This record gives sequence, structure tokens and C-alpha cells, in this order.
Amino acid sequence: MADTINQATRKGFLVDTSRCIGCRSCQVACKQWNKLEADKTSNKGTFENPRDLTPALYNRIKFIEKETTGGISWLFFNERCMHCGDAGCMKVCPSPGALFRTKEGIVAFNKDKCISCKYCVSACPFNIPRYGTDDKVSKCNLCTDRISGGMTPACAKACPTETLKYGVRSTLIATAKAAKKTLYGESDLNGLGVVYALEGPPERYGLPEKPSIPMSIFIWKDVIKPLGILGFWGSIGAMLLHYVTIGPKKIEDEEGGGHE
Amino acid sequence: MGMSVSRRDFLKLSSSSLAAATLGYSLAPIEARAEDLPIRYAKETTTICPYCAVGCGMIVHTLGGEVINIEGDPDHPINEGALCPKGSSVYQLRDNKARLTTPKYRAAGATEWKDVSWEWTIEEIAKRVKKARDESFVATSKIKIKEKVGTVEVEKEIEAVVNRTMGMASVGSAALDSEECYLYQKFLRGLGLVYIEHQARICHSSTVPALAESFGRGAMTNHWIDIKNADVILIMGANPAENHPISFRWIMKARDAGAKVICVDPRFTRSASKADLYAPLRSGTDIAFLGGMIHYILQNKLYFEEYVQNYTNASYLVNGEFKMPGELAGLFSGYDVKKRSYDAKAWSFQKEGEDGIKKDATLQDPNSVFQLLKKHYSRYTPELVSRITGTPTDKLLEVYKLYASTGKPDKAGTELYAMGWTQHTVGTQNIRAMAIIQLLLGNIGIAGGGINAMRGEGNVQGSTDHGLLFHLLPGYLPVPSADITDLATYIQKIAPQTKDPQSANWKQNQGKYITSYLKAIYGAKATKENDFGYAWLPKLDPGMNCSWLMIFDAMIKNKFKGFFAWGQNPACSGTNSTKVRNALAKLEWMVTVNLFDNETASFWKGPGVNSAALKTEVFLLPAAASYEKEGSITNSGRWAQWRYKAVNPLGQSKPDAEIIHELYQKLKELYAKEGGALPEQLLNLTWNYGFKRADGTIKSVDVHAIAKEINGYFLEDVEEKPKPLKPGEKAAPAPPPGSPKKLLGKKGELTGGFAQLQADGSTSCGCWIYSQSYNEKGNMMARRGKKDPSGIGLFPEWAWAWPVNRRIIYNRASVDLNGKPYNLKKAVIHWNPTVVQPTGAVGAWTGDVPDGPWPPMSDAKEGKKPFIMQVDGLGSLFGKGLRDGPFPEHYEPMECPVPENFMSKQVTNPASKIFNDANVKEDVLASCDVRFPYVGTTYRVTEHWQSGVMTRNTPWLLELQPRQFCELSLELAKEKSISNGDMIEISSARGKIEAVAVVTPRIKPFKIGDRIVHEIGMPWCFGWHTPGVGDAANLLTPTAGDANTMIPETKAFMVGIARKG
Amino acid sequence: MSNYIERFSTSERVLHWIVTASFFTLLLSGLGLYSRLFTGYFTFFGGGQNAILVHKIGGVIFFFSSLYMYVNHKKDISTFDQDDKEWVSQQGGYLSRKAAHFNIGKYNPGQKLFALYIAAATAVLGISGVFIWMPLLFPRWIVQISLLSHGLMFVGSIMFVIVHVYLATIGNPGTIDAMLYGDVKKNWAKKHHPKWYKQTTGDNQ
Repeated sequence: MADTINQATRKGFLVDTSRCIGCRSCQVACKQWNKLEADKTSNKGTFENPRDLTPALYNRIKFIEKETTGGISWLFFNERCMHCGDAGCMKVCPSPGALFRTKEGIVAFNKDKCISCKYCVSACPFNIPRYGTDDKVSKCNLCTDRISGGMTPACAKACPTETLKYGVRSTLIATAKAAKKTLYGESDLNGLGVVYALEGPPERYGLPEKPSIPMSIFIWKDVIKPLGILGFWGSIGAMLLHYVTIGPKKIEDEEGGGHE
Repeated sequence: MGMSVSRRDFLKLSSSSLAAATLGYSLAPIEARAEDLPIRYAKETTTICPYCAVGCGMIVHTLGGEVINIEGDPDHPINEGALCPKGSSVYQLRDNKARLTTPKYRAAGATEWKDVSWEWTIEEIAKRVKKARDESFVATSKIKIKEKVGTVEVEKEIEAVVNRTMGMASVGSAALDSEECYLYQKFLRGLGLVYIEHQARICHSSTVPALAESFGRGAMTNHWIDIKNADVILIMGANPAENHPISFRWIMKARDAGAKVICVDPRFTRSASKADLYAPLRSGTDIAFLGGMIHYILQNKLYFEEYVQNYTNASYLVNGEFKMPGELAGLFSGYDVKKRSYDAKAWSFQKEGEDGIKKDATLQDPNSVFQLLKKHYSRYTPELVSRITGTPTDKLLEVYKLYASTGKPDKAGTELYAMGWTQHTVGTQNIRAMAIIQLLLGNIGIAGGGINAMRGEGNVQGSTDHGLLFHLLPGYLPVPSADITDLATYIQKIAPQTKDPQSANWKQNQGKYITSYLKAIYGAKATKENDFGYAWLPKLDPGMNCSWLMIFDAMIKNKFKGFFAWGQNPACSGTNSTKVRNALAKLEWMVTVNLFDNETASFWKGPGVNSAALKTEVFLLPAAASYEKEGSITNSGRWAQWRYKAVNPLGQSKPDAEIIHELYQKLKELYAKEGGALPEQLLNLTWNYGFKRADGTIKSVDVHAIAKEINGYFLEDVEEKPKPLKPGEKAAPAPPPGSPKKLLGKKGELTGGFAQLQADGSTSCGCWIYSQSYNEKGNMMARRGKKDPSGIGLFPEWAWAWPVNRRIIYNRASVDLNGKPYNLKKAVIHWNPTVVQPTGAVGAWTGDVPDGPWPPMSDAKEGKKPFIMQVDGLGSLFGKGLRDGPFPEHYEPMECPVPENFMSKQVTNPASKIFNDANVKEDVLASCDVRFPYVGTTYRVTEHWQSGVMTRNTPWLLELQPRQFCELSLELAKEKSISNGDMIEISSARGKIEAVAVVTPRIKPFKIGDRIVHEIGMPWCFGWHTPGVGDAANLLTPTAGDANTMIPETKAFMVGIARKG
Repeated sequence: MSNYIERFSTSERVLHWIVTASFFTLLLSGLGLYSRLFTGYFTFFGGGQNAILVHKIGGVIFFFSSLYMYVNHKKDISTFDQDDKEWVSQQGGYLSRKAAHFNIGKYNPGQKLFALYIAAATAVLGISGVFIWMPLLFPRWIVQISLLSHGLMFVGSIMFVIVHVYLATIGNPGTIDAMLYGDVKKNWAKKHHPKWYKQTTGDNQ
């Protein structure tokens, strides 16, 4: 069930990983704007911290070190909700308005409407939604309050090197293509709201090559659900039909008395 | 959640679900849920980030008197709304349970703090300060001076007036606003202190003499935005991606325009990750690396010949006796082994005429600076350099080739450096080596060029400008030495003369600046008759050094009763921190001012300390945060920018200026009442900073009044003096009698620039280089004009830059002899010979404020050479004013991994001070010691700032970088059986710390000579006061200082490592 | 002589109705989770979060009671004999208006199949329910499979239950008596479960 999305006016991010210096201002600016608590962390032999998204961490930088022939590369990758055009989380969310698409095309959330079923956790192709002690969904919402107020999301505004660029998605893509960038997420899942210009294959960044909604979720929602509804009404209909056509199996009651 | 089901819900339920279920249409969850912008009705206050010296603009949103949001100022031309993680987190400096909100006191032997009142605290501190001053005041000192009797110099002893207080010292602070720095130095000098130091000593002190010796001024030559104009950016001795993240905005813009980025660093850093070319080098071998580049440039004739000939001292002839390290086993002529110092006379130029210098314009004379330079660096072959630095020769040559490509007239190469160069025993010469390269390539004065000393503290430029150093008064005027007994002699010394008509020799005006300074601090009390109060200025004995290392050396030797650590944390940031911590224990009392408790304030309960036995009394005063007060700070690019107050200080915290002010008022009261040692020194200070109560006290400090005092006033009507007549010129007709006099300024007006300052006491100016910053047109530092007519990012109407709003200094060197820009596309200034100025003169500069209004050099009469702060107007390839040689020469760090210097027999810097007092057990060095076989270095990380007092207390930042770690190579880890994430112990001859091992391919072992040398690195931003983060890396670093400025060598030392448990 | 014979004991009947009640509770509270088409059903519980709570409680009750019921009837439902085959081959006579007679024991194969399916579904729904209940504690793929199988088993269950309800009520008049009162008319028993009738009464008529 794809929700309506206007590809022409849709807003989004272009993340040009070749510009990222791993400063993580995006992480802090997000916390500052959204007033998210700091997480307790520990150093496990890497600069990367926290080492996963948390209920209080909507976006983070992955640090990827790789020895290459004749040198080393140190890549920085901004991990966050991709705001999929075909969003697994929205597909499975049973509570209307808990996960919703804004007029800008962003997948936003409303904690008041979240019923804590956590289906979105399973349905996300990128494993993004997190649940905290409030047992409500949390993830990047691209600062819906800011963008609806005409501002840039906090992370993109803070980004020192313009790695995170916010704007009309189609324009961002056109600009990046003109600069001969290799894009990720241009058309997958009806287009990701967060499109990446990568410096290597997606696997190097821990991204699925062809992102999709998990097959089991697809079967559940797109096959079983309609079939189930059909089966439900079909069964009822069949029984009614049986009753009228073939009829019940009456018992001949010689004594002519029922059990009152 | 209620269980009620309304009728409406029921209807909705039945109709929707039934309809949906039967018809199978979708309840589309698209829902426009317009969230209101929390800041919609907030008040906006602009401020500048308190962290590094990029000077990013911020907007503080307040609602009902409380901060609700702080983010980048999109109108600010440097950061354009962006911020680094530290900047993004400043909200938490206020929303913070750890912030100090009351004064605290620790009594002798106490084990806990006690909250105390401000009134009591100020009174108790004042009493102790007065007692310490009165007991340790030295009015006169016996010194030896040299006097000329006839033609012979004889030494004699005199009793000179020094009027200084020996029993107290102060460190701090670059964290103060400029007005506060000025006020603080005034207060301290009013108390007679000479032991005045701060962050500038330990971060960029070596920058100042290196750049001043080469070009005339000690500051970053260009500015942040200008980086975008570069064609090649050399990042060496710095890590801007991590320590000045917003600078990378401009590095990326340069890259977008096709520039190449080179990164040279022992580690593959976050800066290196974005470089086009990375080359590793062993810490402490930068001169070898750069010397090789000089050699490459000269050998391949890649220098900008016209520039070198016209704008440098390449043609000067050095005296025939002069010998260089190649001939003197690593030494220059004039070395005295006993004194460990040089006699710079051995480096003098050949004289021509009375005081002219003999030159060879062809640069062929073997004694010419150019030929000597060539000869000296001919020893720095790529092979030898590689043996020293560990950089593979192919990488060396790649870097040399790429960087030397900027030697073309229209190409610009910029160099970005910071502590990686400054904090070495050869720190000053590291920077000198680059200065030579930039002069050879013609990269000084141009857009996208320069040597950009990236300052680390928000206002360290301002605090340095305002003289919070033992040897400098505001505006880089030297602190007088006792042998200079009167103002006239002092002026003679600081205002050099030259007969070269083409040299502007701006320093000849310095007499006006010292007089105006004295008038600023002593006001009406400073008169011509009393030498403008020159005697009251505390003085040093000749050669006396009161710098950072000497303060703690004196402190540990029980020389001080009291100590101020104002906005600084030496127990963590001071090299050899054990010595610092042990020294603090020798104090009777300490006053420390900060936003947060820290290792210095709480040194009496540090690890291994027996609090009860420790007798130091400590006063810990809560300071207001940057956006809780008003004032200016000066960024690395010399932009003085105004910060407004967004909210009241948290709790009982106070702006530093208020604390200084209250201490001053209390001391003034005590001295007026009780008398004491030379009360005039303090009582004669001007202090008209606000509304006066009936009893003469001032309620609170008006920061604008201080800013105006710094800018300067006309104290009398000052007439415009006619220009001296040139030969053959006729005097202008005398104005008709009775016509008004043409005034430069009226009494009471603010001065409009330092050119208006007078030597006769008719003007005042607290810091001459800031004259014009707050003039009759208003507060220039608060300007927010966004115009950039140059197109090269000068933004002349945004804030204000010293000197006189000049954005790129030495810009007269960006044009040829006729004033035509070498690069027309990125012209900084341009001489237009046909424009008629309002004064009637023909010809004028357009573009940036030129380094002086005079025509270009081709005008034989009026034209001036480009480096106007140099006596000879030229850039110095040969720098005879430094203590360790006129050319940089490679020496090993004080602690080094190799027994020999491959360059010469002289292993370490021959002119640096050695700390080897047997009574100071903390001062030990260990070179080539099997226990400490690895090179250690320290650095900062993006997520923390300096010793970490602010950032460790910011939970959002601690989340990113939670504890002390140590980076080491895979090879070393394997050798020591260390796995990534293991806890390891790092030890040096002075101490040990624990850290988490970050085993990474980003560090590689070096091949030095024929051996493998491992290097490890760790950040110095952690300390024991924050639970669970580990202790200070500076527990490992040595007491060793640069020969010129005594900046500690914390970037190269020797360590051992071992896995814990 | 009574016209009735006992088919289910009181405890069996109580258990059945517990299972029934919990099943329909699960159905009502789960429909909203099954599809946004049924979001309105959340309203019965005062919102989705309460519906989930009810679903969890109902799930536990259903799981144990349904499994217990299976254990109780395990013997009667897990074996199929020759007569059962005959019943199957003629679809139990349900597709024809003609009267058909089969020598069926206590349960016919349809009932047995239904009981077995419900037992299996109970196990699958229960186990997958635990994963869906606490999805953050398990790998995502386990939860994903659980969501799929939970939905799949539910669909099967509801279809079976519709047939079951129909056949137990209007489809076979008199059948419901067994679950309501515990005893059924002898005629009913003779007609639908002759073998069982003979076994219980010893009446070979």
C-alpha cells in the first residue's frame, strides 16, 4: 500500500559522503534541537560513538577504516532514517498518524499516536526505528517542526562542510548527477528521501545493495492481509451459501419435542 | 487512557471499518500534523562561539529569560549557520547540573568544598592579595647594565626601580572577553605582578616571534574565509577537520574550485581523510621536512624570483665570518656553550655607508642571504630528510612538487598549522621554515596564501593582543626591563629608526602607543612631568623570564604565596602535570575562576593526594558563560567580534569583568584605608567603568566603557599637523586669520585609528592595534554588514579586524612594483594611479585596507616596501632576531628515539633551556631509554576542547568521546599483544596514565635511519575530575621549552606502553 | 429413560468457553493490529495500546487454555480409522442435500482436523506472539518471520472458526446443546456420531 507522494515537490537530503569530516555536529545539533538526553557510552577501540542509533540518537556517523593499496581510507557515513518513498514502517504501522508522511514527503512520527507495537522495527529496510523508556517510536523526522516553519533541519544546518544538504529532492539529485556523483537511493523504495553520493560500493558503508522491505513483511502485509480479508468474508459467504443451498442437517425428531 | 467510547467514535468505527473492510479501500495515513516551531516567539541574541578561534556566529533563542535553543547564525560570513559539535552543544553549558553557581572555599586541610558568599569571598581574597603583595613587593633591584664610556663598553651595577610583586602569579585567560583581558592585565599590573601568563604561552607563543621575525607581525596572515582562494592547501602541524571544523568549510570550497589539499601528519587524521595527498612524518621532524622543501624549491628554481628579489632580504650580504651548521657541527656562529646561547652579532649583515646594508641584487654573492639559504638547505636532500622524518622519499617529492607549484605569480599556496608546529623545542623555527618557503613562493600578502596560525581558544588572539603575557603589554609593546630607566629610553628602544626612504618602518610610531597606553591606564595621574607614570609599570630584570614553565618552577620552589588560575586548568593543560600539581600544593592560597570545578581547583583531592596534609586555601569562583555577558572576542583571523548578553548569569555566577572589578574595589578600599607597598601603583589606575555611587564605588562594570578605553580618546583638542614639506614643495597658503583650526579630534572624542595617536599625552589608547575598533561611528566590532565587494571574502563591514580593519596583512606584497595584483582574478588590493583623492593626491588603492596608504614601490619618492612593520620593509629569509639561529636547522626533540641527529653532531636545540635542578625530582628526561622506546604525541579531538573542563561537562560531547584513549599501529599492537579496545598503561619518565587502545592502520611505524620507530598518540582533554575518563596525558609530557618562547614540548616525547591485566 | 446423553462434562464446557472467549477477545483486539482497515476496533479498548495489552493477556489465556484443551482431547482427535476415511471421501455429506450416514465416533474427521489445526495454530501464534511481544530482544529476522506466521495462522484460524461456528449452530441444529448444556439428544448422537453413541450407551439399535 503505497502512500501518495509528490515526487516533484518532495523534499529530502543529499548526503555527499566525500565531504564529511566525521565531526558529528549533526549528532549533537539534532540532540540540541530535539532536546534528547546524552547516552552513556564507552570507548571500545573506535571513535565511533554511540555505536548504534538509540532512542535519543536520531542520526550518527559511522567511521569506516579500510586499508587500500598504497594507503588508507577513512570513510564517514551518516546513518539515519532514509524517509523511503515506500516506507516499510508506514506500511506496517497499525496506528494511523503514528508514522505519517508530511506534505514535504518526510516520514514523521507522532509519539502520542504510537501504540508501541514496534512493527516498524521489523519492517524497516535499514533497521532505524528505536524505542526508549517511553516505549514510543523514535527516529529522525527531519525536524518536521523546523521544515514546516521554513527552516533547515538542525543537522543539515549545522553541518560544517555541507555534507548534508536539504532541499527539493529532484533538484538535489540533478545537481549531484551533474557533478557525476554515484547515487544511492535514487529510485529504490520509490526513492529514498535521503539520497547518498557514495565513494564506494554500498556494502562498504554497510548498506544493502538493493534496499527493499523485508520479504516476510511484504508477504505479511501485501499477500496475507488481503487474502485474509478475502478468506474471512469468503468463509462467511460460503457458510451462508451452504445454508441456503444445501441447508442444515436436521435431525428427524420422532418424539416431536425439542429440548427446551 | 480512558475507555470511554463516544457515540461519534462508534459511528466512525462502524462506518469506517465496515466500509473499509467490505470495500477494501485504504485509510490513507497521510496526515498533515503541523508542529509549531518552538522558537517562533523567542528572542534572538547574536553571540560568538566560546570554543575555538574560528569565531563562528551563533543565535541564542530565549523565551521568558531562559535559553531554549542555540544554533549557528546563518548571516555570519564565516560559518554561514554551520557549527561544529562543540558549537552545537553550548546550550548544555547552561542546562547543566555541574555548572558552578556559588563561590566555594576550601580551607587549609579541608577535605570538602564549602559554599560561601560573594561578599565574604571577595573580602578574604583581597586581604590575602594585599598581604602577599605588601610582603613580596620589590621596589628596586640590583642589576648589571652596560654603559659606553668613550668607545669602550663597561659593565656596572645599578639599583634600578622595578616596582614589582614577586609573591604572586597569574595564569589566564583566553576564555575571557577582550575587554576583560585588558581589565585583568591592568589590574594585575596595578598590583605589580610580572608573573602574568596564559594559554597563549602554551599554544601559540612560538608563532609570534616566528611570524614577527619573518614579516613584522605575529598573527595569522590571512583569515578563515580566505582559505577558499587557495590553489594548494598544506595542512601540516594541524588537524583542522578536528580542531577547527568550520575552517574545513572553506577548505572544501577551495577543493570545489579545484584546489589540492596536502596533509602531513604522524597520524592519518580526519583532515587526512579529505586530503588529495597524505604524507606521514615522525613528530618533531618538521624542519627536516620543510628544509627539504626549501632545497627542492631552490634546486629546481621554482621560487617567485621577482618577489624574492623585491620583497625579501635575499640580496642582503651577511658578514664574511658567518658560519652555518654544515660547517660548525650543527651550530651557527656565535654560540656560547656555557650560556647555551648565541650572540646574534655573529649573524650581522655587511654594512654599507652609515647604516645601510650591503646588497647584491643579482643574488649571486656567496655571502648573500639567498646563496647562504641555498647552501644551508643543500644538506636537506630527500634521502636524508626521509631518514630523519620517516616519510618515504616518493611522498616527500610529491608534496614538494605539488606545493612548489604555487611559486607562480598567479598561484596561491596556504599553510595551516597549530600546535603540531608550535609545541616543540624548535617550535619557533618550525614556523620560520614555512615562512621562508612562503616568501620564496611569493605566497605572503596574497589571497589564498599566507601562514595561517590557527588559534585554538575563542579569544586567545585577543588575550595575546591585550598583553596577558609576562613579556608583553597590550599591542605587543615589550614589558619594560629595569635597565630602561625612563620612558625616553624605552621609546628609543621600541621605536627603531631607518634612513631608507622606501621603508615605512611603522614601529617608529611605537612611542605614541606606549604614551597613550600609560595615559589610558593612569589617566590624569600620568603627566609629562612624571614620565606618564612609567615608573609604576612593574619591570623585569634584564633577561628575567617569567613564562609558564618558570612560574611552576618557581612555585614548586616555594616562591609564591598566592596564585590566580583564571579560566585555565594548568593541572591538566600544563606540561609535566605532576610538577604543576605538586607546585600548587606549595601555595598558601589560590584563586580560581571557572564555569566548572576541575583538576586545578580540586587539586587537593586529586589521585594520591592526602587532603588533610595539604594546606593551600582555595577560592573557586563561578564565572558566567559567554552568552551570559557582553563583550568582544578576536578570532584567529584578527576579527574582533561583539557578543551580546542573552540571559542573566546562571545562579550566582558573575562575568569575569565583575569579579575583577569587585576585587579591585575591595583592594582599593584596603589600600586607601591601610596603606601598604606603593599604593599609587594600584590607586592611580583609571577605573571609570560605570555609574558611580555616592561613596565613589561603581555598581557594575560597563563593558562598553572598557572597549572605548581600549580604542582610545582624544584627551585634548588635537590639531591635524601639516605633512612635512618635500624639497621644492611650497607651503600651502596660510588660512585666513580667525578661521577654525583643522582638528584631528576634539577633546573627549574617541580616536579613529592609531595613526591619530600622539606621543605628548594628548591621546589615550589601551591597545593601539585596537584603535578604531570603537570609534565615533560606533562599535565597529558589532557591525553586521554582509557586503563583499572584493568577491574574495573580505567582508569589510562585518565586525572589525585589527589593524585598521585590514583583512589580509602584508597585502602590499600581493602586487608588483607598480601596484598591479599578481593575480588579477583574486586581487586583494590594486593601485589605481589616476584616481584623485579628496586630499588632492593622485593615485589610490582599491580593495582591502592596504598595509599603509603610500603608493607602490615603483614610486621612488613616496612608494614603500610591503612589510611595513619591519625596519627594512622586507620579508626576512634570514632572521637574525631569533635565539636559535637565522635559518631553521633540524634538531631532535629533547626526548628522542634516536641517539644521533642525522643532520649534525648537535642532537637537540642548543639554545633551549634545560631544567635539571636536582631538587626538582619531577623534571626528568629519558632519550633512547629502553623503558620508553616509542615516540609519544598529544592532540585534541573534535569532540573536546583544551583540557576538557567545558566539554567533559557537556554530556552530549562526552557521549561522542567518552574517555582517554591511545592510538597505536597494528604493528606495535601485535608486538605488545594488545588488542583493539584493551586497557593499556602509557608511561614516561615522569608519569603514567591508563587509556583504551585504539589499534588502527591510520598509524604506521616509521623507518628512521635503519631502525623501526613506533609512534603513539593520545588526546590531552581528559582528567581525573570527571569520573571514569582517565587522567591527563600531560602527566607524561616533559618540562622542556622552545628556545625563543619557552613553549613546552608536548608534541614529541618518549613513552612505553603495556597491556593492563 | 432419558432422551439425552452426556457429550461434554462441565469442566470441558467451561474450558471450551474460556478458549472461545479468549479467541474472540484476541480477534477483536487483534483486528486493528492486523490491518489499518480495522483501526476502529481499537476504540473498543480505548486505543491501540490498550488493545495490545488486552491482546497480550488474551493471548496468554488462549495459549494455555487452548493447549490444555488439546491435551484433554488428544486421544479422541489424533487417530483416524476406516470410517473416517469414508467420511472424508464423501465430504461428510455436507455438499449434498441427501442424507448421508457415516459410522463416526465422538468426533468426525472435520472436527479432528479443526482441533488439530487449532492446537498447531495455538503453538505457532503463541510462540510467534512472544517474539512480537518483545521484538527488541530478538534478531529482526525472527520477529519478521513471527509477524508473517502470526498473520498466516490467524487467517487460517478465523476461517476454520467461521466454519466451526456455522456447523455447530445453524448448520447442524442441536449441536450447540453439547457445549451449552453438556448433553445432546440421543437422536442427534445416533445421527452424527453413531459409533460414539453405541460406545457410550451400549445400545446397538
